[in-house]
This record gives sequence, structure tokens and C-alpha cells, in this order.
Amino acid sequence: MDTTDRKVAIICSKGGLDEVYPALILANAARQSGIEALIFFTFWGLDAITDKRVDHLHVNLAGNASSGMPTMIGGLPGMEAFAAHMMKKSMSELELPTVREMLKILVDSGAELYGCELAMKMMKRTKDELVPQVKDVITAGDFFDLSAGAQIIFT
Amino acid sequence: MQTEQLILQRLDTISARLDELQRGRRAVDELFDELTPIAREALATAIARLDALDKQGHFAFVAELVQVGRRVVEGFTPADVRQLGDAIVGILDVVRALTRPEVLQIASEAATAMRDAEHATPMGAFRALRATRDDDVQKGIGLFVDVLRRVGHGVNAAAARDGKALDQKAKLAELLGPRRARMLPAPSRAPTVPTSSVPARKPEERAIDPSAWTRELAETIARANDITLDAPRWALLDAARADFAATKASPNIQRLTSIAGVTTRDLYQLFPKAPARTIAKIAGLPKPAGCL
Repeated sequence: MDTTDRKVAIICSKGGLDEVYPALILANAARQSGIEALIFFTFWGLDAITDKRVDHLHVNLAGNASSGMPTMIGGLPGMEAFAAHMMKKSMSELELPTVREMLKILVDSGAELYGCELAMKMMKRTKDELVPQVKDVITAGDFFDLSAGAQIIFT
Repeated sequence: MQTEQLILQRLDTISARLDELQRGRRAVDELFDELTPIAREALATAIARLDALDKQGHFAFVAELVQVGRRVVEGFTPADVRQLGDAIVGILDVVRALTRPEVLQIASEAATAMRDAEHATPMGAFRALRATRDDDVQKGIGLFVDVLRRVGHGVNAAAARDGKALDQKAKLAELLGPRRARMLPAPSRAPTVPTSSVPARKPEERAIDPSAWTRELAETIARANDITLDAPRWALLDAARADFAATKASPNIQRLTSIAGVTTRDLYQLFPKAPARTIAKIAGLPKPAGCL
């Protein structure tokens, strides 16, 4: 295969359910295509690898023009949880694994997951609070070292 | 003489006829004499009756009815009336549907609410929202939405018959942007040939005819991909081929883990580069489709 030397580095900077999945699916697709993949979780993206939050990611409705819901209604309490519930339902119909399962599949497939050190400090999170699949907590500089020769995708 | 006699004879005949007539006239006179009081009586009764009817307003009613009739005639052309004749079955259907007891009951309930309108409490947005939790209100909303949907559907159908709907919708879609355009039916246009941006598969990646596949061929393809086929790998290939035979789709990694009872990690160890694709390739199956 001619994908031997290809590599992608994905930066996941947002923590909405709809914002995390693209990063995970792209990384998984890369691995399935024989492309090396790593994901760098930073800022709200950290929620996707935080043990207590990974199962409770919401869909951002307020200010989301594609949600089909007026921002005023999307901003009502419970609406995001409701939207997340609906999205999870349609995802399970597609047999799409949950975020937690996806993280496990990714690591089993050989992808590497990293947390952002600065964002961790800012949110006062420790490595113990992250899911066990996270390989390390690294700095932005480390990220560039790791992604040498990779195509970088920011989500 | 002859003539005189003839004339006399005729005169006699005439005289006889006159007598007859005289008798008849007398009889008629007698009849009139007898009938007059009766007729007068009848007329008086008739007039009294008519007067009574008039007092009851029947004549005014009939006069008004004539007026109405005239207005109807003035207001409608014969074509209209013909159309009415065509529509009469539909109209009767509507009337029948409207006059079903349960429908009348609902209408009566609604009318009661209207009658008691002054007792209705003013409602803000939040109270209205809260009111929607009521089962009856929900049912009512559902009903209204259903009615609206049917009315809208009818309007659309009627407009489509006139052939102008799609143009208007296209204009509306242009105004509302692509998201709404998706919700509206696309204006009919010539079918376009879909062009795929996915690069064509390289010759060596193309799946071989599954019926031409042999285990020797699999060995050859595996060697070309730096893979040695051993028992666990053969088990995976067989599972993939069996699954393809059953589902007509090449299994992806998730599917492979469930049908062959291996973990994702195992798969990547046995086929380090793109396990599902490599397995499909060696097993002589098409490339697995989908994102997962």
C-alpha cells in the first residue's frame, strides 16, 4: 500500500458531541486506511477524554444555524441535552459507537490520543481524571514534534 | 216555391236550435245563480287565507326568495352553475362529514368555548407553553396541525395543477437559502449525471471476481502485501467471505470483530495496515464501504 508513510494529526478543540465525532471518525478512517493518526485534545475538546464528561457531551444549539432550532429556543435549559439525546439515538441506529467506545477502538487501532497540558492546567484537570486511553499530556511544542510529516487537521 | 220551402225549413231548424240554446243559457244562468253564493263564500275564504298567509309573512318571504333567486341568477353564470353541479357530490361529502354526531359534538364544544370567551384568562408565552402540557391541548394542537397540513397539501396540489407552484417555490427557496431549499421539493430539471470525486481504484486494489477466487490466489495476493497467511488469518478470511455471501457487503472492522470473535487490536496486529481493506482484498471481496 502506498499509504505507508502517510500520517494525520487531528486537533480537537471543541467538546460538543457533533464537534468531537468528526475528529474521532476521521482518525478511525485514517487508521482503517492504513494511515497513522493522532488526536490532540485541547480546550473544550478535553471533555471528550475526561472520564466524568465523555458520556455527557452535548450538542451545541445556541448560535448553531444548522440545528434548525431558533437560538432562543435552543438556549432553553435542557434543550442541548435533548438534542444530544436525539443525536445519540440516531447514531445508535447507525451502529455508531459511543464516544467512549470510539476512543477505545481508536487506541486498539493504533491511533494515539493526547491531552493539552495548558488546557489541563487552565481547567484544573489532572491526568487521573482522563480516560485511560490517553497516552500522554503534552505541550503544543510536543504536538508539533509528534506530528512531524503529518497532515494537520483542526476541528 | 222550392226555394221558399227550403228557406222555411231552415228557419225552423234555426228556431229549434235557438230554443235549445235558450234552454242551455237558462241552465247556465241557474247554475250561476246556484254557484255564485258558493263562489263568493270560497273567494272570501281564499282571501282570508291569503290574508292570513300575508300576515304571517309568507308573501314577504316568497318575495325575498325571488329576490335571492334573482341575485343568485345575476351573480352566477351558467358555467358556475354547471361547476356547482359537478361539485355537488363533494359538497354533500363535506356536509355529511361535518354533520357526523362526533364532529358536531366537537364543534359544539368549540362554540361553547367561544360563547364563554369573556371568561377566558389572558395567557403569556410561558403560560401558553405550560398549557401545552395538557393532554387535551396537545390533542387540539395535533388536530390543528393535521388540519393545516391537509389544507396546505390541498393548496399545494391545486397550485401544482396550475403548474406555477414549483416556480414560486424555487423563488422562495432562493430567498430562504440552501437549508430551506432542501425542505422544499426541488424544481424539476434535467437529471444530471452524478460525478464522483472519489478517485478511481488503482488496478491492484480492484476486487477480483469472487467466483474466480482460490486459496492459492489469496496466498499470492497476501505475499504481495507482505502478509503470511496462517490459521488465524485464514479464519478471518473465511469469516469475511462467509459474511459477504450472507450480506452482500464486505465486513468493516466493527463487523469483523463481531463475526470472527476477535478484538480490534488483534485485527491490527494480524493485518497492520488497514485490516478490513486488506482482508477484503485477499479474500477477493470489494473494498468495505462506510466510515467505520
